[in-house]
Amino acid sequence: MDNTIFITGAGIISAIGNNKAETKQSLLAKESGIGELHHLQSAHRELPCGEVKMSNEELREMLGMPEGKACNRTALLGIEAIRQALEQSGIAPEEAFLVSGTTVGGMDATERHFLEMLEDDRHLALLASHDSGSTTKLMAEYFGIPNGHTATVSTACSSAANALIVGANMIKTGKAEKVIAGGSESLSLFHLNGFNTLMVLDTERCRPFDATRKGLNLGEGASFVVLESAASVMRRGGKPLAILSGYGNRCDAFHQTASSPDGEGAYLAMKEALDMAGLSPGQIDYVNAHGTGTLNNDSSESAALKRIFGQDMPPVSSTKPFTGHTTSASGSIETTICLLAMQEGFIPANLGWQNQMPDGITPAAGRTGIRLKHIMCNSFGFGGNDSSLVISQAGSHIDAPDIPEPSCAEGVLRTKVLSRNRLTPDSPKGDIRKYMTPLETRRLCDLQKSAMAASLSALQEARMENPDAIIVGTSYGMLENSEKFLLQMCKEGEQGLSPTLFMQSTHNTIAGSLAIRTHCHGYNITYTDPDEERVLALCRQDAEMLMRQGKIRNALVGYYNEVTPALHDMILRLYGKDVPVGVTAVAEVIEKQ
Amino acid sequence: MEELEKQLKQQIIEVLNLEDMSPEDIEGDAPLFGDGLGLDSIDALELIVLLEKHYGIKLSDPSEGKAIFKSIHTMAGYVAAHRTK
Repeated sequence: MDNTIFITGAGIISAIGNNKAETKQSLLAKESGIGELHHLQSAHRELPCGEVKMSNEELREMLGMPEGKACNRTALLGIEAIRQALEQSGIAPEEAFLVSGTTVGGMDATERHFLEMLEDDRHLALLASHDSGSTTKLMAEYFGIPNGHTATVSTACSSAANALIVGANMIKTGKAEKVIAGGSESLSLFHLNGFNTLMVLDTERCRPFDATRKGLNLGEGASFVVLESAASVMRRGGKPLAILSGYGNRCDAFHQTASSPDGEGAYLAMKEALDMAGLSPGQIDYVNAHGTGTLNNDSSESAALKRIFGQDMPPVSSTKPFTGHTTSASGSIETTICLLAMQEGFIPANLGWQNQMPDGITPAAGRTGIRLKHIMCNSFGFGGNDSSLVISQAGSHIDAPDIPEPSCAEGVLRTKVLSRNRLTPDSPKGDIRKYMTPLETRRLCDLQKSAMAASLSALQEARMENPDAIIVGTSYGMLENSEKFLLQMCKEGEQGLSPTLFMQSTHNTIAGSLAIRTHCHGYNITYTDPDEERVLALCRQDAEMLMRQGKIRNALVGYYNEVTPALHDMILRLYGKDVPVGVTAVAEVIEKQ
Repeated sequence: MEELEKQLKQQIIEVLNLEDMSPEDIEGDAPLFGDGLGLDSIDALELIVLLEKHYGIKLSDPSEGKAIFKSIHTMAGYVAAHRTK
């Protein structure tokens, strides 16, 4: 059986263009899309951003969105990118799965009306599409993709890359033949201010890998690709653009927001991707770096690149000076940029680079007329969620004889649940003090304490110190932290906000903390879906897919969620449902038999 | 200065959520970071917010914090010299 993953369509919208042709044009002309904000109303006029050059109204009109239909910017951008990808690929959306990466979800809409939503019902409908999982459903609904055919990945800035990895694993294990995978993220005051509290935003255009770099610029956009099995491509006579020949997902397990000095997670992710593609480092023709322009990322990524490539360093560039850092969407936006580079035969410039940083890599200046056979694309996120993809020219594999691989889709996979914990609002809280000191727990909200206690006790019961993978899900994520941050921002304005609250507001906070705690550098992912059973099923399916491929023997699987008094009240008013206030934390350790 | 130091200690305990600690537990010249109180880079960012909120001092470069937040003494000295409120 041919296990090749073909890419048969791609769509993109970002600050440098509303489609592939415009994007390519901007990259070749070295025209950045970073500048003053026009659509997002922020007090931070000093912070340049990579904004999509269309208002919500213009996007709605372009997509023919019915008037009165609630939709957030993240979904609007995503829909446009999916539309382009489907058009190029020619597949029918009803037959496909949609795996989308986002962290902002509907926050851009919620933050405009949050104080009103707390008080009255005028804008309460926004709650239904606030969470990341529901944002994916908005996109699926537009195309008639069945509800059960969606999954949302939220690993902060590597979300879209991990969406591609999940999609590819679904195809490899026979769960799907066609997957639309990528990510979407709109700018929001929430994360603009959040990154600002971390003091990692540059007031000038970002300069990745430059000695004078001062930080990143945020961007927004969406990109999706159509991943397809070889059987499906052949059956329908599809036209492959490229092959997703390798990918790696690893965890830095170092710090919630900072990368380790030696770039361990990044190194392991790149190594896994290369090994899977069956390539030696010297065969990579171009690396699209994560390259955010922060002091920390660029020095850590340089260290990791040097460890992988040594003397064989290929041309490396970051395209974030063009698009800004599109956070959850960056993995797919940059994958599509790599596809364009491969098709057109050019290396995008590392715009604005002038000064060699000590111990840093020397980025590429940009080149045309070059053949790119294999490209690597890096995406690293908060929580140490590091992923790397390798895409290869389709021609090189299509004519190659099928490599006989044992089909991992067939046969019974026997697993055993070694331990299981479930804490609910009614049950006694787990005792985190058994595992952590007061200094270590000082930043943890109730949800984190319960989730950590449930997980660490499940591991202890299973007599496991370091699981092969950490696979968790949530519905509303770190609600206490994000609600506090949002409330303060809406009431007091865009100043004096807490970096700790923002740092621990991303959905992958708990998976990242667990990895640090257990020193687990293995596969690490966070899914979101409004429904607990559904998201747990996705997590278990993910563990099973990795076990079938022989990538892991065991996994810590979990679900955590929190209902605050404010959410309880809004759910009651919107749906008439009385959900208990409090924390739910599920943790189970699964082992392959 | 003594009054300011005491106030800073209380604010630090509150902002950084240092449960089980009282102002008397923090020595005026003991290092706040690393081996002393054990604070880290995220705490430093919180202290920068504290300076802005309570004393009207705005730091634009996080690396400036290193010298200022060495101990309660250095922090109080900096606040006394630069406060705008």
